[in-house]
Amino acid sequence: MFQWDTVWHFLFSDPNHLFLLAAWRTLWISVVAQFIGVILGLFLALMRMSRFPYLNWPARAYIWFFRGSPLLVQVLLLWDGLPRIINNPDFLLPDFACILVAFSLNEGAYMAEIVRAGITSVDAGQMEAAKSLGMRFALAMRRIILPQAARVIIPPLGNEFNNMLKTTSIASVIGLLELTGTAEVYGSQNFVIFELLIVATVFYLLLTTLWGYIQSWIENRLDPNRTLKAELDQKGWASRMLGFGSPRPGGAGTLASGR
Amino acid sequence: MSVQQQENSDSREMVRAEKIVKRFGDITVLNGVDLSVKRGQVVVVIGPSGSGKTTLLRCINHLEKIDDGRIYIDGELMGYRESNGRLVEDREANIARIRSQVGFVFQRFNLFPHMTALENVIEAPIHVLRQPKSEVTERAHALLAKVGLAEKANAYPHKLSGGQQQRVAIARALAMNPKIMLFDEATSALDPELVGEVLKVMKQLAEEGMTMVVVTHEMGFAREVCSHVIFMDKSVIVEEGTPEKIFDHAENERTRNFLGMIL
Ligand SMILES: Nc1ncnc2c1ncn2[C@@H]1O[C@H](COP(=O)(O)OP(=O)(O)OP(=O)(O)O)[C@@H](O)[C@H]1O
Ligand SMILES: [Mg+2]
Repeated sequence: MFQWDTVWHFLFSDPNHLFLLAAWRTLWISVVAQFIGVILGLFLALMRMSRFPYLNWPARAYIWFFRGSPLLVQVLLLWDGLPRIINNPDFLLPDFACILVAFSLNEGAYMAEIVRAGITSVDAGQMEAAKSLGMRFALAMRRIILPQAARVIIPPLGNEFNNMLKTTSIASVIGLLELTGTAEVYGSQNFVIFELLIVATVFYLLLTTLWGYIQSWIENRLDPNRTLKAELDQKGWASRMLGFGSPRPGGAGTLASGR
Repeated sequence: MSVQQQENSDSREMVRAEKIVKRFGDITVLNGVDLSVKRGQVVVVIGPSGSGKTTLLRCINHLEKIDDGRIYIDGELMGYRESNGRLVEDREANIARIRSQVGFVFQRFNLFPHMTALENVIEAPIHVLRQPKSEVTERAHALLAKVGLAEKANAYPHKLSGGQQQRVAIARALAMNPKIMLFDEATSALDPELVGEVLKVMKQLAEEGMTMVVVTHEMGFAREVCSHVIFMDKSVIVEEGTPEKIFDHAENERTRNFLGMIL
């Protein structure tokens, strides 16, 4: 018998805020891992694009490994494998540390490709103009190239973070009590696993929907034709998150002719 | 700069290129090109498409590496340094320092699209030369006024016409107080009615005594403004001299053919 009252209890009247705390863990693991992933991805992308083989090849190998094998396996390798590799069975990485390291390293590989696509999208003449003004590579990247690449990087980065929020459920396999782990552990103890998975789902949807709002706000701010775009895209978040909302009649055409 | 270099180069030479060789794979794009640009001189480079004019300018600014020869900017070896009698690539900081003294105006403007006209102009003086923002901004306004764009300071490049963009690009280069300006077909991406406004700015610069190397197909401009014309064809300098000599009394068959075609 499905217990709606249990769902209701954990959603609205849980004095211990079990799932609120779990959602908080999910959120901050995601934020930290995504943040480190972006930084890592930036350096990997620059290495990957370097003409020096000793920078280029390690980055290629890294990306190849982390994109080419499952995150779950990478987590387990770190969790179970590391104590063996360093030959110390008592060594135990704290579960949070293990998850953050594995997620950040993995995300770095994906971000590397996204950042690379962003940098490549910037016209080569921009770097030349920057250089001709006496800018060094790092300054030109920071002031000229990356701000322009950001426009290409931010939308997929937003999608990566949406994924990250959900992918954190993998942390439950090593017993970390984020949303999925919490539902599993408390649910199987009390035979209400399905109920609690529903609760977890509601919280996931809350997080991703909230992020959807933030994402479209950021993307609108980045757009040079902001005001025009804002008019056209009022329903942007809704269509992104819920899959409805048809493109406005003549929307793209209006935008193109507006330039 | 070593004493020897100082002695080797005429101190009035702002650009000196010696036997430049540049190859892209199998093709040789510059095959032993010599160039000397004295302070205040306006040198115009003409020649058919593919003759290596753009490549020559890019080599001067070390946007391209050269395969042989030497380039000096105001007496300083550009892009390379001597190590045990061989030339090796110079440190990035040093290349950047010399480049900051050379203005480059691109055929396709290459303005920074995420910055306003004013921001484009003040960017490098602030972040490369580390000059105070208030001072640079004041100078930038003056430069924009000089190129006739005082009222466009806060416009983004995509709101400007090609001619206006190119004039902002010239102001941007001038904001660095360059010793020399290089123009690579600065007007050939422009609609015909916009060419004049850019040429006017270039002409004014020349009259103020700016040292310039100008690649152009605008023969009227060349004749009127420059002191020295270089005709390039097939990777070499075929003929050079005063505008009168090149335009009216060209000795070389190829020069005459080219001018006959273009005029
Ligand atoms: N990056 C490159 N890689 C390979 N070949 C190149 C490259 N840049 C230029 N070339 C070749 O070098 C030759 C000279 O080019 P360059 O652009 O210097 O000619 P140009 O005199 O400026 O011609 P135009 O009047 O068309 O601008 C051309 O044959 C061109 O195809
Ligand atoms: Mg050219």
